[in-house]
Amino acid sequence: MNRLLLLGLNHTSAPLAVREKLAFNTQQARAATDQFRERFPEAELVLLSTCNRVEFYTSRPVHSHPRVEELIEFIGQFHTAGAEQFEPHLYTKTDKDVVDHLFNVVSSLDSMVLGETQILGQVRDAYDAACAAQSTGAMLNPLFQRALAVGKQVMRDTALCEGRVSVASVAVDYARRIFDHFQDKTVLSIGAGKMATLALTGFAALSPGKLLICNRDADKAGRLAERFNAEPVPFDNLSDHLVAADIVISSTGSAKPIITRDAFARIVARRRYRPMFLIDIALPRDIESGVGDIENVYLYNLDDLQQVVATTQNERAGATTAAKEIVAQQLQEFVLWHRQRAMGPMIDRLYKRYQDIAAQEVARTVKKLGPLDEQEKSHLEELARRLVNKLLHDPIQTLRQSDAMHGPAAQYLHAMEQLFKLNAPDGEDEDDLGQDPTA
Amino acid sequence: MPDFVVGLSLPLGFVDPAPIGQPTSIQFALLILAAVLVACGVICSLARLKWDENDRLRVASKVLMAAGGAMALVVLIWHSTTRGSWLPVGDNFDALIWLACLLGLFLFYIQGRKPLTGLDWFVGPIIVLLLVGSVLFGAREYRPYGHNAWQWVHRVSAYGGAVAFAIAAAGGAMYVIVSRRLRQKGPPGKSLGSLERLEHLNVVSVTLGFALLTIALITGIVQWSSTKQAPPLAKLLLALLAWAVYAIVLHAPINPRFRGRRAATLSICGFLLMIGVLIAVQFVGGSGR
Repeated sequence: MNRLLLLGLNHTSAPLAVREKLAFNTQQARAATDQFRERFPEAELVLLSTCNRVEFYTSRPVHSHPRVEELIEFIGQFHTAGAEQFEPHLYTKTDKDVVDHLFNVVSSLDSMVLGETQILGQVRDAYDAACAAQSTGAMLNPLFQRALAVGKQVMRDTALCEGRVSVASVAVDYARRIFDHFQDKTVLSIGAGKMATLALTGFAALSPGKLLICNRDADKAGRLAERFNAEPVPFDNLSDHLVAADIVISSTGSAKPIITRDAFARIVARRRYRPMFLIDIALPRDIESGVGDIENVYLYNLDDLQQVVATTQNERAGATTAAKEIVAQQLQEFVLWHRQRAMGPMIDRLYKRYQDIAAQEVARTVKKLGPLDEQEKSHLEELARRLVNKLLHDPIQTLRQSDAMHGPAAQYLHAMEQLFKLNAPDGEDEDDLGQDPTA
Repeated sequence: MPDFVVGLSLPLGFVDPAPIGQPTSIQFALLILAAVLVACGVICSLARLKWDENDRLRVASKVLMAAGGAMALVVLIWHSTTRGSWLPVGDNFDALIWLACLLGLFLFYIQGRKPLTGLDWFVGPIIVLLLVGSVLFGAREYRPYGHNAWQWVHRVSAYGGAVAFAIAAAGGAMYVIVSRRLRQKGPPGKSLGSLERLEHLNVVSVTLGFALLTIALITGIVQWSSTKQAPPLAKLLLALLAWAVYAIVLHAPINPRFRGRRAATLSICGFLLMIGVLIAVQFVGGSGR
């Protein structure tokens, strides 16, 4: 019997500075998962790290590891960060609350931008990476499979994604507040990933005078430049490109800022203090926040833009309600399915064990009583069976009626396993646990 | 603008005006009505902050402001007729109405060419104040101006400069607000125009105003130097201070640290000084100290 534990932080609990410190890129996530498996071999893990959240979804046997404090220590060690820096921003959830949270996350109900579809892909990527690292098992496999199905259903059956305002469109709107016309402006994209592509789509529509793509990987820059009819430029001359640029979109995967305040102050002076719009959509951030304090420089990071997007979406409450209803219904179904899956075999084993004991005792008694006819024998067997049934009725009913997926029910099941020595032989049940039959 | 000098008339072909009459009470009433119409137009324009999509408000605002402007022009024509002189800026009553009308025309020109939402909100109240000022000063401190060529050039350039500086100040105030909103990173909200356009408006207005103010200063000093009267110190100092402030604003291309928000703030400061000059003119006239 496993228990679910979630430890994480998101845009509501932690500022960008903390989130970027704890963020995991693909390689780091893989390394962290491997280290986790080494340290907690009994536990399962899916590590979800996006711009807005870092979450550890774990499943562990009851009374086993990792516990919350061990997870905090693990994260701190991995990022060589003191727990005091991020612990106040963490939230923990267990069992049914984890399922509820994950369903909300994957439906974008927990996102800064309601209705954004990117999160579905990010959860899928995180789950696939965990599967590849073999860190998922009987608990997390069905949970994530169901969660992805829920996310798809919400996107398909509700209006949550319709007419949404994107980060790119908000950035373009702000650019229009700074610049009057774009024919004589230069847009520079530092980075050539997905985020850069999304942002460039918006800015290319403004028909800027020049569109520059600057990336460490020149081939990647070339491919993106071809798509937007832009000019790929070498990363080594970044300072010169910054002097020429009026709008800068930065979205590299760099672990440290690539544009510092001091260096940028010199660039601003070189460009004679012409207004400049900087959009930092990278996590960790590419541009030091102090750059935004320089005169005539307007710096917006992901949080700034997403906050604006979020505040413009209040009118979509109807779609949110519909999405929440789907999540609530799916949560109930999953809990029910999971409870039946967990309890059924155990109750069967319990009855079987005690009916066997009763049958053995009846046989012994029959032997002691001497010759009995079939009807008397049948009465005795019936007596024993009814006794067993009545004795087990109350505990089983209590177990069935326990509300939470793993709350009291999990504790009762674990207690029953221990008290009645119902542990399944190794390997039993494992074959079909990995699949959620309703997903 | 009150004359520093009596005399020093250049042979530019101007004739001495006919005797100037005090504005009539009907002219005052019409002017008050004009101020009320413009004020209502500004209120309608401001109401669009709340009811953005309401096209009626936009039309009402334009109609009311145009009606107010037309009313002020009627008073101007009537006053010129009764005064017997069509030469503009002939007295302090006429001068302030001219200033208001010029501002109104400038506003209509900009809004007709490429609308700048919010410019009405800043320029409109200045027009109202000028119209109210012409009523107050016309009624209580009415003063005909001298009519030699130097004086006329001095006054026209000074008032023309003031109009340009009023537009620059409005653009500057809008620049500061837009810049602040951008730095606060809140929802974009209603656009007051882009920083680039507001800065351009500011620079063009200040350049024009600076040239006119320079002419006004030179002609004023020339007039003063040809008399034996004491210089109008208060007015002169305020005007020189305003000139210096605008010189700094125009200095931005050489020292770009002054561009943007700093230039916008300086434009507002310069306009406040210009208001001081105008008030000094009304109260102390050409000989004020």
